[in-house]
Amino acid sequence: MALLDTVSGADESIPNGRILRLVLLPVGFAAATIALWQITCQMLSVPPVLLPPPFAVWTVLRDNFAILFDETLPTLSESILSFAIASVLGVAIAVALTFSAWIREALYPGIVVFQLIPKIALAPLFIVWLGVGETTSVVVAVFIAFFPIVVSTATGLVSAKPEVLRLCESLTASEWQAFRMVRFPYALPYIFAGMKVGVTMAMIGVVVGEFITAQRGLGYVIMFAAGASETATVLAAIVLLCIIGLGLYGIVGIAELLVLRWFGGEAPISGVI
Amino acid sequence: MPAVVRQGIVPALGPNLRRARPIILPIATTAAALLLWQLAAVQLHIPTVLLPTPIEVAREMWRAFPILMDQTWPTALDTLLAFAAAAVLGIGLAIVITYSPLMRDTLYPNLVFFQLVPKVALAPLFVIWLGFGSPARVAFATFISFFPVVISGAVGFAGTDQAVLRLCRSLTASEWRSFLLVRFPFALPAIFSGLKVAMTMAVVGVIIGEFISSQAGLGHYIMNAGSRLETADVFAALGALSVLGIVLYGAVALAEFGVRRVYGRR
Amino acid sequence: MSTAKVGPSIEASGVSKVYRAGTAAAVEAVSTVSFTVQPGQFVAILGPSGCGKSTLLMMVGGLEPVSSGRIVVEGEPMNGPRTSIGVMFQDSTLLPWKSALDNVLFPVRVLKRSIADYRETAHNLLQEVGLNGFEHKRPHELSGGMRQRVAICRTLVYDPDVLLMDEPFSALDAISRDEMNELLLDLWQQFTKTALFVTHSIREAVLLADRVLVMTRRPATIVEDLIVPFARPRSLALGENREFNEICRHLRERIEESHARSRAPRTGIIAGRRESAR
Repeated sequence: MALLDTVSGADESIPNGRILRLVLLPVGFAAATIALWQITCQMLSVPPVLLPPPFAVWTVLRDNFAILFDETLPTLSESILSFAIASVLGVAIAVALTFSAWIREALYPGIVVFQLIPKIALAPLFIVWLGVGETTSVVVAVFIAFFPIVVSTATGLVSAKPEVLRLCESLTASEWQAFRMVRFPYALPYIFAGMKVGVTMAMIGVVVGEFITAQRGLGYVIMFAAGASETATVLAAIVLLCIIGLGLYGIVGIAELLVLRWFGGEAPISGVI
Repeated sequence: MPAVVRQGIVPALGPNLRRARPIILPIATTAAALLLWQLAAVQLHIPTVLLPTPIEVAREMWRAFPILMDQTWPTALDTLLAFAAAAVLGIGLAIVITYSPLMRDTLYPNLVFFQLVPKVALAPLFVIWLGFGSPARVAFATFISFFPVVISGAVGFAGTDQAVLRLCRSLTASEWRSFLLVRFPFALPAIFSGLKVAMTMAVVGVIIGEFISSQAGLGHYIMNAGSRLETADVFAALGALSVLGIVLYGAVALAEFGVRRVYGRR
Repeated sequence: MSTAKVGPSIEASGVSKVYRAGTAAAVEAVSTVSFTVQPGQFVAILGPSGCGKSTLLMMVGGLEPVSSGRIVVEGEPMNGPRTSIGVMFQDSTLLPWKSALDNVLFPVRVLKRSIADYRETAHNLLQEVGLNGFEHKRPHELSGGMRQRVAICRTLVYDPDVLLMDEPFSALDAISRDEMNELLLDLWQQFTKTALFVTHSIREAVLLADRVLVMTRRPATIVEDLIVPFARPRSLALGENREFNEICRHLRERIEESHARSRAPRTGIIAGRRESAR
């Protein structure tokens, strides 16, 4: 939530009333929107296919929770798996890029170009290669979550203060020592910034993968329900996806907070990507 | 970003060769990868359905060029419309958030919330609401590319040097003048980084829209060719799409370059 | 280590540094500089910003290759960093995630020596510089002056023979800077080391050093080698001494002279103005 701090940073002292306002206003706004939605649907009798009232969405969630939960599990596990693979792969390749000028100059422009093209469009290709199923969703998700992590980590690994690297040099530290003791710790905030984008990307990849391939998962539920004009079910699945998304992001955010506290009170990096 | 990454320790080479290396190496790598791809596909007898050779892809691109162009236009048009809408709405909302603390406290957390959830999941809803045509895709693409613009715009406006704003107040400048002369130029780098993300997101949005709903466009073409297992066709369309993506991104980068020059290359 | 050797501790002969050599944009950052430093001597290199004095220091430390000429430290030609030389930078360059104590022990860790053997030394050094009680604070909890004290301890902990200091106090405010100068004078009484200290402050150079080498911008070379006659131990009170101020004035004139030769006359007062700001 560093962005929040930046934007509301103008006023420095935060009195009690302000905290109340910072919490109540947005929550109130969200609640008011939902209430307005419910009232509008009832007053104007909007057809449920177009926009079911929130209460109908809740009913679907409550009545079909077991079924929806069954479909949530594959989406959740695929997201976690693809995020984990993308993180390991992304950090490893970024390390390789930092250690070898040759690898860096050969690969980095390619990686930047890949950042610019809509990688999601490659999804159908993965279907051709891997068939219709969970593997495809995971590979698509790894593929799109990987790039922000590489780019951010690579940026972080060269962001150590040049003078600190000089100090290492003057102490006759080896490349590996300088990496382990200085470069990598300095890169941690960047790695987390990349991972925060990566975790959202992994979810997008899994959902799109499920849209076009899977026979399971929340993405599949959304497509299927949309085809059957069961809009309330679509919204119920979206609610569950939002919960997964926030949960996973929250876990990365908490990990980041712990690491940054260890790192020593420096501001988190935002907007590197 | 690449400039930062390039500051590594470069091993000793002739000065001319060293300067040319960042250009030669990527081209050589691409050429080597294409060659390897060609060789592997031919030598290992990989079926064309799985992996067509680069030559087959090139031939397909040449053959289907008119069709590909026909498919690129709707995608490009939808993307541009969505980007324009996202840019105007995003910057507009960012300004509102900057000047109204009430709006900021009310809306900003909700905007951040939307940044974090997989918004693509809403794509089918737009089809339900707006049908199978272009409006659904434009609306969806606007929806997902709008958030990065608002957030980076708001961060940029808020990040304006407070001392300079104080200077403006001391000169009794009107809000509008200090916005035009100070806040806006200060926020430009942030706004443009948001716009760059928005452009890539707009393409992604249109493509996803075309995957699930359309009868035309590159996304539709890719899905179709994929389901007919015409892999060379998929690659050809991906090539066209990559060119489109890079050109559109390049246009934003060029605009940024131009605007920054007007404001004295900050 | 090799302190038993007779002869100068640092010997630079005809040292030059050219950036972008062989191109139209070639810049000579250091131009045929020669000097020697005897063991145990404290020598200051004084000059305006951008005169190449830091580059010279980095070359002595083996952190920058020389373009031509030769540097010999303790009888050995320099061809890379070595552990008998300790370097202090303008910025304290502390690792933000390590406590003051761990930062002091950082060189020990890099040199793969036993931490346990050095823990006491580190504690004593921190005490020496007045940081007892702050051992477990992180850099962001320390003031700029405190951070530089930790950096001094870090340089001394592994006992190098030669200290190279690159404007170590120039980022500090005037009051902290005075404190640091006094601290360095105190420490100097206890350790027998050779020091090369780069600064753009005339008073700092005269207060701390046994010898002042004046470097100018164009050409980037040493134009004056002045022996500071004051006995040690010294203190800040030396600043009120008339002879001290005479020496300072002399050095200022030397710098302004060479400025007047190389730049527009109006900017010649920069060095003087910086001084009077102290």
